[in-house]
Amino acid sequence: MESIGTNAAAIEVLLVEDSPGDVRLTREAFKDAKVHINLHVAADGAEAMAFLGREGQHVNSPRPDLILLDLNLPKKDGRQVLEEIKESPTLKSIPVVILTTSESEADIVRSYMLHANCYISKPVDLNGFLDVVKSIDNFWLSVVKLPHKTRE
Amino acid sequence: MKTKSLINRKVQLAFSSAIFILLFMGAMSYRGFLVSTESDRWVRHTHEVLENLQNLLSEMRSIESSYRGFVITGNEQFLNVYHGSVLHSQEEETIIRGLTVDNPQQNRHLPALESSIAQIIQYGDMVIGVRRAKGFEGGVDAIRGGPGQTIMDEFQEVVHEMQEEERRLLVLRDVDAKRRLGQIRAVLILGIVVGLLIAVAAGWSVQRENSRRATAEEGFRVSEEKLKLLLDGVQDYAIFMLDPQGQVASWNAGAERIKGYRAKEILGQNYSCFFTQEDIERGRPEEILRVTAAIGRHEEQAIRVRKDGSQFLASVTFTALRDMDGNLRGYSEISHDLSESKEAGAKYRGLLEAAPDAIVVVNQGGEIVLLNMQAEKQFGYHRDELVGQKVTNIIPEGFAERLIADDLRSVEEALAQQIGTGIELSGRRKDGSEFPIEIMLSPLKSAEGILVTAAIRDISVRKGAEKHLAQMEGRYRGLLEAAPDAMVVVNQGGGIVLLNVQAEKQFGYRRDELVGQKVTNIIPEGFAERLIADGTRSAAEALAQQIGTGIELSGRRKDGSEFPIEIMLSPLESPEGILVTAAIRDISERKQSEEHLVKTVAELKRSNDELQQFAYVASHDLQEPLRMVASYTQLLAQRYKGRLDSDADEFIAYAVDGSNRMQGLIQDLLAYSRAGTNGKALHKISSENALQEALANLRATMEESSAVVTHDLLPAITMDETQLVQLFQNLVGNAIKYRGAEAPHVHVSAAKNGGSEWIFCVRDNGMGIDPQYFERIFVIFQRLHGREEFKGTGIGLAICKKIIERVGGRIWVESQLEKGSIFSFALPAGDEK
Repeated sequence: MESIGTNAAAIEVLLVEDSPGDVRLTREAFKDAKVHINLHVAADGAEAMAFLGREGQHVNSPRPDLILLDLNLPKKDGRQVLEEIKESPTLKSIPVVILTTSESEADIVRSYMLHANCYISKPVDLNGFLDVVKSIDNFWLSVVKLPHKTRE
Repeated sequence: MKTKSLINRKVQLAFSSAIFILLFMGAMSYRGFLVSTESDRWVRHTHEVLENLQNLLSEMRSIESSYRGFVITGNEQFLNVYHGSVLHSQEEETIIRGLTVDNPQQNRHLPALESSIAQIIQYGDMVIGVRRAKGFEGGVDAIRGGPGQTIMDEFQEVVHEMQEEERRLLVLRDVDAKRRLGQIRAVLILGIVVGLLIAVAAGWSVQRENSRRATAEEGFRVSEEKLKLLLDGVQDYAIFMLDPQGQVASWNAGAERIKGYRAKEILGQNYSCFFTQEDIERGRPEEILRVTAAIGRHEEQAIRVRKDGSQFLASVTFTALRDMDGNLRGYSEISHDLSESKEAGAKYRGLLEAAPDAIVVVNQGGEIVLLNMQAEKQFGYHRDELVGQKVTNIIPEGFAERLIADDLRSVEEALAQQIGTGIELSGRRKDGSEFPIEIMLSPLKSAEGILVTAAIRDISVRKGAEKHLAQMEGRYRGLLEAAPDAMVVVNQGGGIVLLNVQAEKQFGYRRDELVGQKVTNIIPEGFAERLIADGTRSAAEALAQQIGTGIELSGRRKDGSEFPIEIMLSPLESPEGILVTAAIRDISERKQSEEHLVKTVAELKRSNDELQQFAYVASHDLQEPLRMVASYTQLLAQRYKGRLDSDADEFIAYAVDGSNRMQGLIQDLLAYSRAGTNGKALHKISSENALQEALANLRATMEESSAVVTHDLLPAITMDETQLVQLFQNLVGNAIKYRGAEAPHVHVSAAKNGGSEWIFCVRDNGMGIDPQYFERIFVIFQRLHGREEFKGTGIGLAICKKIIERVGGRIWVESQLEKGSIFSFALPAGDEK
């Protein structure tokens, strides 16, 4: 069980987000990250599954250490993606952080029922958003031990 | 029968035991005989032996005396005797040997005997020799000195012994024989005694039986004589016996007199010949016997036929005769000619007088023969004023005619038509007044022919009631006709009995087209079934289930068109059973408006839902681009702070501000729409807890403004908890926000209003509200202050109002500027205690 920093390899983070604005913001926020992060982006649910399954153009993609998942996505919906990830024997161990504008109770409950690791509502203001991303960085990438990369 | 076989058995037993005993005794006797014979034989034997021994002895003595004689005399004669005796003695010895051959005791003596004999003879010979030789002196010496005596003594000894032996043997045998004989005798005596006893017992038994039977027979004979005496003495009653098949088994003088048959004519005939032809055809004789056998007795009064064919009314009693074992042996019949009976007449008269109705007996001529006291009372006559008079005096019409036997029908027929039915006529009193009567007729056979008994009942009261009923009925009919709804009265068979004019109009039929028809013609389904009293419930029950409820069904007009109806049922008791009155209302219009209403509501609901959906989605989807605008402008502001001129800063500031506000508005709009849709089911909750939660949410604000919030005891109410928290949070939050100069003091209280509502009050000491704005503040986004003064979008109170109105409550404010405000809201009390 190696901790993230020791092996100096970058953390692979998959951001599944359809809004380019939000993608850019996230990237900006991670600039101050403590750890070197490779941010991969999938713009919709289908692309996210293709990336995770290493299909098509993603055949050489790495397995992410963390997935940031928006719920409202075109093509395949984020909820569907969550379900599929958590049902897949190879993918279910990857922590999934739901990062979405929805604050609805129903969505929160459903996400946790589908075994999301945590649920974060995107703050409406910039600073709030930046703080959240920093928290994610602090918590999930520093404090928390991520599962050791299994041989694939 | 049982006793007879018992006696037989006893006798048989006795005789066989007697025979057995005889045989036994015979055997015993024979045995005794044998024993006796044997004993005799032994005795003879013994005597023989003794005799022979004696002979032997005498021979030996003879020998002795003879040789002594010879010795003394020298006479040769003695020698002859001597030799003869010697010969004889040897013969005797042989004989004795032969006799004692089977006796071992005696056999023992034989050698001694033989030797003694031999010795004696030897001695004798010697002596004789000596005499001969020596003469007298020598012989005497020989005898004198010789053992002759001794030998003789020895010999005698042996003989004695043998004799004793023999005697002893004899005694033994004798004893034995005696014993055996004694036994036999005892047995014989016993046998005799037993035999005698048995014989006596048997004889005595038989004797007793015989005497008993003799007495019984005697007794029987005596009683039979008595009975015959009795029966023949009775002239007034026929008393006779029938066998189980009904053949006449006995007869008496009375029977002969009453029925006309002599004994020898009737004995053995079947008793059905006493019955009328009709009775015979109906099987009455057999029936009577059956009934009598079953119950034990049967009594009746009926017509019987004499030998000459004449009929008479008889009172007959049958009794079943059973023997000790319960088997039917026959029947007894006792009958009596009633026409002779004074007693019957008396009983009848008694009945007549006691009857509660007036009874008048009329003969075929229409004359009154008999009447009772009630008749006297009812008609106001004295008895003798009516007897012999025509019945038309008291019943002017309708009675006498009915009785007349005319050419067309016999009296019986005429009568038969009237029997049992109550006929309504008019009776006339002595004073001439008439009153309604009902008469019931019954025939009475008498010596003078057939009489008619009429039971007359005054039915004035009943008539009055009937009239009243008819009146009521008329009134009811009037009501029915006047009813605004169609009324149809249906019987239990589902047939229409009555209908009113409205019903005619509604269904398009004429009255006579429907009366008598099945109600299913106008109400095809749902009505008739409800009424049917079937196996599972009575008519009353079936009805009870339907009473009062309005049932929606479909009615069918004459032209076949159907229309919706509502029927209300109520029961109606009538002599023909329970009828059902159905009030039928045409509800086509109502149905239409109902449908319309349902449609409209559905429409509204749909549009409402769409609106909610729209509001939610809109707010949600608007957020996203707004976030982009706000975030990037802020990023701009941060990243390029100081690198742009102050105008740019200002422009950016406005842009950011605008987007922030937009976001706030959208959030609030979202919250507002959720207040309407997200309401969960109402539960019983503690409003106190809800307040505490709201205060917890406001802690920061409260601390900042040093606000103090107090409250009274707050009740448990039926409400959505989340929304109540929201409610309190908004109102208390407002109270703190719109404070006055002093630290905010907020007090929350609740009071029940008359049992139907809870009224909550949030009182503050804030800045108050101008009354002209009391309504406006509850409108969405309406504010009384600028953004600069107080934050907020103006949605709080609108949300409160929406929440409250969703549960059917109301919200209002009382306030004075500078004096604080009281926001009150009422929530329905629901069904908590």
